[in-house]
Amino acid sequence: MADERDPRAERFARYLDALTEGGRPSPGDVAGDGEAEMAQLAAEMAAAASQAGDPDPAFVEQLRRRMRAADDGVAAVQVPPPIRDARAVPGGRARWRLTRRQLLQSGIGAAAGVAAGVIGVTLAQRPAARPTLGGDGELVAGEGFWAEVALLDELPDGSALRFTTPAFDGFVVNDGGEVRALSSVCTHMGCTLSYRPDWRDLRCPCHGASFDLEGRLANGRRTWRDNPYRGDARAYPIELPDLVRPRVKVEDGRIMVWTAQA
Amino acid sequence: MPAAPGPFEQVYTTHVVGIYRFVYARVGNRPDAEDLTAQVFIRAVEQLDTSREPRQIAAWLYRVAQNAVADHWRAFYRLPVVGIDHVAPGWEPAEEPPDAPAARDGATSDRLRHLLDTLPDRYRRVLELRFLERLTVAETASAMGISHGNAKVLQYRALRRAALLGEAGDG
Repeated sequence: MADERDPRAERFARYLDALTEGGRPSPGDVAGDGEAEMAQLAAEMAAAASQAGDPDPAFVEQLRRRMRAADDGVAAVQVPPPIRDARAVPGGRARWRLTRRQLLQSGIGAAAGVAAGVIGVTLAQRPAARPTLGGDGELVAGEGFWAEVALLDELPDGSALRFTTPAFDGFVVNDGGEVRALSSVCTHMGCTLSYRPDWRDLRCPCHGASFDLEGRLANGRRTWRDNPYRGDARAYPIELPDLVRPRVKVEDGRIMVWTAQA
Repeated sequence: MPAAPGPFEQVYTTHVVGIYRFVYARVGNRPDAEDLTAQVFIRAVEQLDTSREPRQIAAWLYRVAQNAVADHWRAFYRLPVVGIDHVAPGWEPAEEPPDAPAARDGATSDRLRHLLDTLPDRYRRVLELRFLERLTVAETASAMGISHGNAKVLQYRALRRAALLGEAGDG
């Protein structure tokens, strides 16, 4: 065969390169008719040939903590609604733990935070809030509790971790030493965002919106003329509300996110 | 720290490796495999009754994993998932749930092997070099004595042919 270049093959080769180099392949490189089946087949072959079929121990430990939190009642969605009569949590200084029963019996709310000696983290001062539908800066709520979602040690600068609490699904990010919590739900159609460390953004798999680590649309048209987004050929066609940002604090090296309760 | 792990952590400890392998075998990359594994166990926290029989728990987890994989491909590539996986919706694991997926993955390898063997030589060769031996495109090109651009075209065509064969083979 002559030396030929096929744009489809070039594009698809990027998908395969990501796959075989252990990265996260981009769906954008799988666009043509029938290519999805090719991508799936390639994924199966890559997996079958890989000796790396076991999970990363750090990942296993991080997810384990979420399971433990569920056992503790932090993420117990079976918990019936309002919780009142706050009571200090015994042993609050060590790892914050509650049984599901305790969670049922005692309001955790503000009392737990006070009892444990809260040091709030300083959040970035945001510029004057723009009107949004999805969220307007920090999410502050009345009733709720602080849920431990990760250890600060696990969140080096430029990294992000996914977390789930009964009320909220999001990321905690470390942006130049500042810890922030951001919703993982795209404010367009509700697809789940992924963190891309190389880009330091939260990217939507559905239509390619990118949010910066302050939760603002980063590849929108409004900013495109002065600051086109790296790697995107075109601006995201519509403006989107900011991501919701719940309150976050770091306490004894533990990252806690405020979880509202109805 | 807890004296004894709670029910969710126990379920997690028993199944995390198996579920991860199950998912990894179907998406072929670590970031997606981690996301989907996390989804399965988060769903378990929301919906799984941990007082059920261990076998039922295993069946439930693998069914959720199966659906998560299907959703992953559907959402990312906007197509109905056909033929790529041969687990029936009501699939139940064997007596030893953690071993069952491993056995299945052996079947998957056989299927892939068979698929490769039915391809024309050059197609088979490029896929073997790229995926089984994990050569880069450049290394594959040099091993096959073709240009870089040709290697990309060849892997593309080989996958297309293999995907069509795989589809036909499912019928």
